[in-house]
Amino acid sequence: MLTRLTGGRVIDPANGRDAVGDLHFRDGRIVDAPPGGRADESYDVSGKIVMAGAIDIHSHIAGNNETLGRLLLPEQRYALDFVHPGHMPQPRGAWNTFETGGLYAAMGFTTVVEPAMLPHHALQAHLELSDIPIIDKAALTVLGNDDFLLSLLRAKESAAAVRDYVAWTLAASRGLGIKVINAGGAEAFKDNVRSFSLDDEVPAYGVSSRAIVKALQRAVSELGLPHPLHVHCNNLGLAGNVETALATIDAAEGLPLHLAHLQFYAYGKEGPRGFSSAAARLAEAVNAAKHVTVDVGQVMFGQTVTISCDVLRQFNARNQARPRKYVIFDGDSNGAGIVPYDYRRSDFYNAVQWAAGLELFLLTDDPWRVLFTTDHPNGAPFTAYPDILALLMDRDLRAQWIATLPAEAMAVTVLPSITREYTLAEVATMTRPAPARLLGLKDRGHLAPGAVADVAVYTPDRDKAKMFRAAALVFKNGELVVRDGAVIAQPFGRAFDVRPEAAREIERRMRDYYDARYGLSPSFLCVPEAAIGRPDPFEAVSCSR
Amino acid sequence: MAAAWIRGKTASLDDAVAQAAGLLAASRLPVIAGLGTDVAGARAAVGLAQRLGGAIDHMHSAALLRNLDVMRGSGMMVTTPNEARLRGDLLLLVGPGLAEAWAEMPERLFSDGGRRRIAWLCPGDDAKTAGRYPDMRVLGEPDDLPIILAALRARCAGQPVGQTAVAADLLAALAADLTNARFGVALWSAAHLDTLTIDMLCGLVKDLNSTTRFSGLPLAPPDNAAAVQQVSGWMNGFPLPVCFARGFAEHDPWRFDATRLVESGEADCALWISCYGPHAPAWKRELPTIALAAAPSDLHADVVIAVGQPGIDHDAVGYLSATATIAALPARSPADALPAAEALAMIAAALPAARPC
Repeated sequence: MLTRLTGGRVIDPANGRDAVGDLHFRDGRIVDAPPGGRADESYDVSGKIVMAGAIDIHSHIAGNNETLGRLLLPEQRYALDFVHPGHMPQPRGAWNTFETGGLYAAMGFTTVVEPAMLPHHALQAHLELSDIPIIDKAALTVLGNDDFLLSLLRAKESAAAVRDYVAWTLAASRGLGIKVINAGGAEAFKDNVRSFSLDDEVPAYGVSSRAIVKALQRAVSELGLPHPLHVHCNNLGLAGNVETALATIDAAEGLPLHLAHLQFYAYGKEGPRGFSSAAARLAEAVNAAKHVTVDVGQVMFGQTVTISCDVLRQFNARNQARPRKYVIFDGDSNGAGIVPYDYRRSDFYNAVQWAAGLELFLLTDDPWRVLFTTDHPNGAPFTAYPDILALLMDRDLRAQWIATLPAEAMAVTVLPSITREYTLAEVATMTRPAPARLLGLKDRGHLAPGAVADVAVYTPDRDKAKMFRAAALVFKNGELVVRDGAVIAQPFGRAFDVRPEAAREIERRMRDYYDARYGLSPSFLCVPEAAIGRPDPFEAVSCSR
Repeated sequence: MAAAWIRGKTASLDDAVAQAAGLLAASRLPVIAGLGTDVAGARAAVGLAQRLGGAIDHMHSAALLRNLDVMRGSGMMVTTPNEARLRGDLLLLVGPGLAEAWAEMPERLFSDGGRRRIAWLCPGDDAKTAGRYPDMRVLGEPDDLPIILAALRARCAGQPVGQTAVAADLLAALAADLTNARFGVALWSAAHLDTLTIDMLCGLVKDLNSTTRFSGLPLAPPDNAAAVQQVSGWMNGFPLPVCFARGFAEHDPWRFDATRLVESGEADCALWISCYGPHAPAWKRELPTIALAAAPSDLHADVVIAVGQPGIDHDAVGYLSATATIAALPARSPADALPAAEALAMIAAALPAARPC
């Protein structure tokens, strides 16, 4: 069946297209306009904006940690908003897997990446992902606090050994890439270490956080993984931690590196409270480091929960929990901390955080390298995305918000002086081809013939939040799934994974290791396709090797 | 071909499925209970409960909720069996029922020749197990546990305490050991403790982390309870029990407790699932009942369908005590048995298209 969208403004930065025109797709793929031009199904989208489906590169949507968050905060679900078009009461947070897929699709998102999958909990992560409808998904496998890797580094084994281990873990867990979270910090915390920086060493291993990051970066690069090493730096949330972010950018040494939720590292120590935004300095460094990509992790005001495998950070933040409860999980390698939090406009620190994120967006110059996230739910729930886009695109709206925030907070940022407004093309770049390229998804994030027919259509509005909150039409693999912000179909997508080659010996070595260390077979961490319970649940993404 | 019975007489699977679907469709508020099934069965059961607008509960949800009430009330610090085994230099076992909850616990934790100190508070019937390990300290009887824990917590915080069932010097020595542990782990079985006791224990664990490292290992109830709770968490956004009678998932531990729903007459049809052993419902009242059971001979339901044992007769996904994770469990001795998930899918397919409100 040939579907045609006519008369829309098609914004496709990957292919240099920003013009009114038609879009055609058939059998789930974009196609050229057929000669003779008979379409089976035609949508008149004159006056509307047509983009590829949006891609979220860092959002905590699935896994045992997310379910812990759900179980910890039933009150987020009891607080109901009756805004859903079908008049079903909509919880304010702690969304289940089905709600997650629908809420993302309603905003025109068609691919979302879970950034923190613990290898020993990979099966649960994939089970949860498989119960999220509509969107395609992927998960990044967490390494960097695991005994095997730290032991390899302590023993100064070869880069090949690290490579094989990374490849084995990726294949077993069906990850799309590697995530490292406060490298060595979770392990150090088990030894009662209470702070951990880039050049601190993990007790018992004598290996520094920097060495762990470098070893993983090298392995990722040598394996030809499409996604660079995805780094959650040390010292998240601490005053003056801009130095950590800058040091980590330097540590990349010209090789690709992705820094997660950079806003949480954009803090200086200036001003009467010893806490300020250092986002301007950080943005300058990001602009200069062309091999580095970042996602912002924007903070927005309201009640949320922080879900993070940075056990040390979450433990240190436990007394700021709002409401006052938390879960700290010392897992087999990384674990998790679940700490509810309420970002308040009246709070000096939260206001600085809010400003710092916007400064990062507005002071960086390359939408191909600065990606759009809230580190859901840690900065804000992903449902805040439309409001953030509005703030980026409308300086008057920003000024209105700034006027409601503590003046002393704005005084330690430069946000009030920034006049830049994001264009639609920049928004499109940041949310479509940029994440697609970074994930190695060659047939997504753009609308050239051959691309997957993941298409989002928006009705332009002066109120940009309104425009992006409820897409006029969303197609997933060519099937209409959303109309006027309401989900009308719930097909299930797939999880992307990479299957890099590893030397045969690693299988035996890992079996011996798990037997010696745990007295168990490593089969418990595998993700057999048959266990997922849905047809065709995975799609392989190629490595460049 | 799976064995099936309608009112005690053997029947074809298709007839039993049709009868089951008919009973469920005709009911006002059906309840899916027991829920001793694998992850696939739990996913199917949740979907069916939603379709029916009914309630769903696990036979051990009360025990799970004791831990959950502590967690969602004031939080909790937890770790894994692997970490307890590899890193735990002091284990604080609390209360009875641990050996029953984790049969491999002695082998996993007690058998590595003195590399850790172990104290067992109030083991009750588990005293037999404790007695096999002469180096293990055993203190107190189950009735005294709440006071002993409170006193221990106070001593660890440097506060004086009055007399308890445990001698003052023993209590002080234990408090010192806890405070000096490098990575201590407390273990308990919620099925055998009450919520306030668990709250006190988890509070003690949190207190100890102000100066050292300490965590907790709650041992899961049987019948795949922990995995089924995770399934409800991610699919419903809530733990069990849950009810869909108003068209969306609601959670209320009292309102939707399966036994209460049946005994009160609010539920008028029950679908009981028990794949891991011959467990029967706790309620006494009679109502139209469908049973999916691995050992059906003991059940007197209107419709009985024999189903396989997960991880034995067929591949399954379920909770692995050794790692406290959800894992793929290949069939140990594959048999031609109907997985509960398939039986549930057949029942769902046999329901009339639109269910009247």
